[in-house]
Amino acid sequence: MANNADPNTEPPEQELVITRMFDAPRELVFKAWTEPEHFVRWWGPKGYTTPFCTIDLRPGGIMHNCMRSPEGREVWTRGVFREIVVPERIVLTDSFADAEGKVVSPTHYGMSPEWPLETLLTVTFEEHAGETKVTLRHAGIPSGAERDGAQQGWVETVDRLAEYLAEV
Amino acid sequence: MPTDTLHSTFRALADPTRRAILARLASGGEASVKELAEPFQMTLPAVSKHLKVLERAGLISRGREAQSRPCRLEAGPLREVSDWVEQYRRFWEQSFDRLDDYLHELRRGENEDG
Repeated sequence: MANNADPNTEPPEQELVITRMFDAPRELVFKAWTEPEHFVRWWGPKGYTTPFCTIDLRPGGIMHNCMRSPEGREVWTRGVFREIVVPERIVLTDSFADAEGKVVSPTHYGMSPEWPLETLLTVTFEEHAGETKVTLRHAGIPSGAERDGAQQGWVETVDRLAEYLAEV
Repeated sequence: MPTDTLHSTFRALADPTRRAILARLASGGEASVKELAEPFQMTLPAVSKHLKVLERAGLISRGREAQSRPCRLEAGPLREVSDWVEQYRRFWEQSFDRLDDYLHELRRGENEDG
């Protein structure tokens, strides 16, 4: 590591935060996240399908999914529920996996070696006048990193710089 | 890109002063150490120390010619970082678009049934 000598540069925990309002009651949005028959209808980028999904909704329970790209490439993932508060909040890990549910390295799917082996998803559901605000936090490497309260600012900085880079 | 380059980029970005320095270079182009030190309550050596971290991470380069050795932003490592974050963002934004459509579909079904 290039900067081991500098004690002032401990990395922040890398975290992506996305918030979205949905025009539906909270119970329904929570079900859409936690019941396979609903989950397979929306999970994944545009054009992808979810041909396999099991969700064992209890602490320690496993979620095991397969996502298929429009070109037919399959990516399996699995997670373990850490926390469930119906219908307010779910916390689960997220890793790449094989069809048997065994965790595999992200490089197995051609991701860069920097990709975290395991990430943590925290999803909260808040109801406001019949609509539901979903806040998703996707936190990743490096493990054991200290939170410095600046993740949001960090993400915003990167966004601004990314805009700038698009112009260069 | 070597395996640990992304990590050193993130380490360099961990400090708010260094993020501010990069933002300044992104918006204002080249600047000397003195110019970069102005917005902060910091000595020139303290700012120089931050610049060294940024330089080692490949986030800035410094001129060799002039006495002031002006700093400029280097785009490469930042592009790698934003790509990595962007992959997650795109995945969830697109999933949420589909969830939004699906919830509307569900509710239309409910209204028809009722």
